[in-house]
Amino acid sequence: MKVMDSRPVGTQQEAIRKSKRSRFRKLEALKDFSFALPALILLLVFIYYPMLNSFYLSFTNWNMTKPIKKFIGFDNYVYLFTSDTFYNVLRITFTYMILDVSITLVLGLLLALLFNSTSRFFNFLRTFIFMPHYISMVIVSMIFLWIFNGQYGLLNELLKLFGMEPVQWLTNPRTALWVLVVVSVWKGVGFTMIIFIAGLRSIPIEYYEASGLDGATKWTQLWHITLPLLSPTTLFLVITHFISSMQVFQSVDIMTNGGPLESTKAMVYWIYEMAFTEFKTGRASALVVIFFIIIILLTMLQMFISRKTVHYEG
Amino acid sequence: MMHSLTKTTRIVIALLVTALMFFPVYWMLITSFKTPAELRLAVPTFWPEKLMWENFIDAFDTVPFYRFTVNTIIQTVGIVVLQINIGIMAAYAFAKGSFAGRDKWFLLVLAALIVPEQVIFVPVYVMMSKLHWINTYYALIIPHAASAYGIFLLRQTFRSINNDVIEAAKVDGANRMQVLYRILTPMALPTVATMVVISFIHSWNSYFWPLIMTNSNQMRVLTVGIAMMRDSIAGNEALNMHLLMAASVVVILPIVIVFIFAQKYIVAAMASSTFK
Repeated sequence: MKVMDSRPVGTQQEAIRKSKRSRFRKLEALKDFSFALPALILLLVFIYYPMLNSFYLSFTNWNMTKPIKKFIGFDNYVYLFTSDTFYNVLRITFTYMILDVSITLVLGLLLALLFNSTSRFFNFLRTFIFMPHYISMVIVSMIFLWIFNGQYGLLNELLKLFGMEPVQWLTNPRTALWVLVVVSVWKGVGFTMIIFIAGLRSIPIEYYEASGLDGATKWTQLWHITLPLLSPTTLFLVITHFISSMQVFQSVDIMTNGGPLESTKAMVYWIYEMAFTEFKTGRASALVVIFFIIIILLTMLQMFISRKTVHYEG
Repeated sequence: MMHSLTKTTRIVIALLVTALMFFPVYWMLITSFKTPAELRLAVPTFWPEKLMWENFIDAFDTVPFYRFTVNTIIQTVGIVVLQINIGIMAAYAFAKGSFAGRDKWFLLVLAALIVPEQVIFVPVYVMMSKLHWINTYYALIIPHAASAYGIFLLRQTFRSINNDVIEAAKVDGANRMQVLYRILTPMALPTVATMVVISFIHSWNSYFWPLIMTNSNQMRVLTVGIAMMRDSIAGNEALNMHLLMAASVVVILPIVIVFIFAQKYIVAAMASSTFK
């Protein structure tokens, strides 16, 4: 009987202990959660809420300076999709992106092949190549504003010395976008080089040794070993660079203000103009949503590709 | 023989390329020391005739540069300190904590990386003006107080630290804060340093955000201030470029210093960005 009695008492105590322990655990979990809370609140308030709010505003006719905020359905989108400026802005943005990404990547790869050496000397030189990556785009724009200055800029002075006609780089609709591309390439090529070098170093040396024994030249090695094995790195760079290239704003704002003749009016610059000089908040938000959808599609593409390449390597 | 020849060629090409890449920075530097007359010479000079140190003083007189510098320092220090501390705490919770839906919450943090600031600036601007925070340090700092990328980096590092270390400290009676700041953070110091460097460079160089959140001279930061200076000389560039370049040199100086002394962490930051 005693044995029989002690059992329920034992389970009872066990249960009390368990509930105490679970209460303790709950308290511990709460304390753990409280450590994540400041970050979560900040992200919810300053990222997720504004993101959804942008979406909502894109369906209103709100003008920031007036109190009227009416729901107007897809009117803002209809306006954008039927305006010539929209297609012009898209064309400019994508032209810029394609030029920027392709030139940066090709030059970045060439630099990587040239500077891929473990010697301290090359390491020292590389520092100068990727330094522009960390200089503010505002300052970079100032420097190139001076170099490309139509009157006394260094480039035109050199052209004149060689007996050529000076070019009004930044006030000519045919060259202004190119200047922005040059600026971005100069700033971004060093970073691309570093990532490519990391990719180059992950290629097993045996591949080169084996093909060398088979009599492959450096050139065939480049085409048949280096470039194919570098493709995951290249894809990563293409997409991340596309995403950052699409956000071009600072150089436009400082060097061209979207001109001449709207030839450098990229998407983000137009958003900014609509929101803060025309105060068409609703319409600007619709453009923001379109902009964001393109970014999300590019990001999904990157995730899809990187998952695929992981499988490929595995 | 052949080998050493190609090696020399490679070094020569590398030197030329480096010189070409560095040239714009050099051009800024020497322009900042020139006189307005020298700016307009038909044959450009590649070394200033006379080092005009006065340019730096004159540049500071054209716009309220001291004020801009103070604002930039406050903005940068504020963002770095908050991002590190909020990041360390969140990373601890996501790496070592145990609470319901931990990994789902972390996914929410990661997803924030995809959202560019252009997507959120209009509603945040409205929020800030309702709070009367436009033209205050709050508007410059608070919306950037949490860095999803920093939390991600720190979480990776904290996860690699053995739980025994934490258990041992808890047995000794250390509470969470003590475990976090006295044990985990010192062990994760290289990552913390990397984060400080990224966060510093990012906030020092930021332009879009302070451009929108401030509109008085009192609250402008250096990047926005220098853009204003450029607008004020538009059309007269050739007469004022030496001052604009002098101001530019001052703006990038802290970045160059960080770059020289914290290069190790910058390279680490670059390597980790591949996994972003």
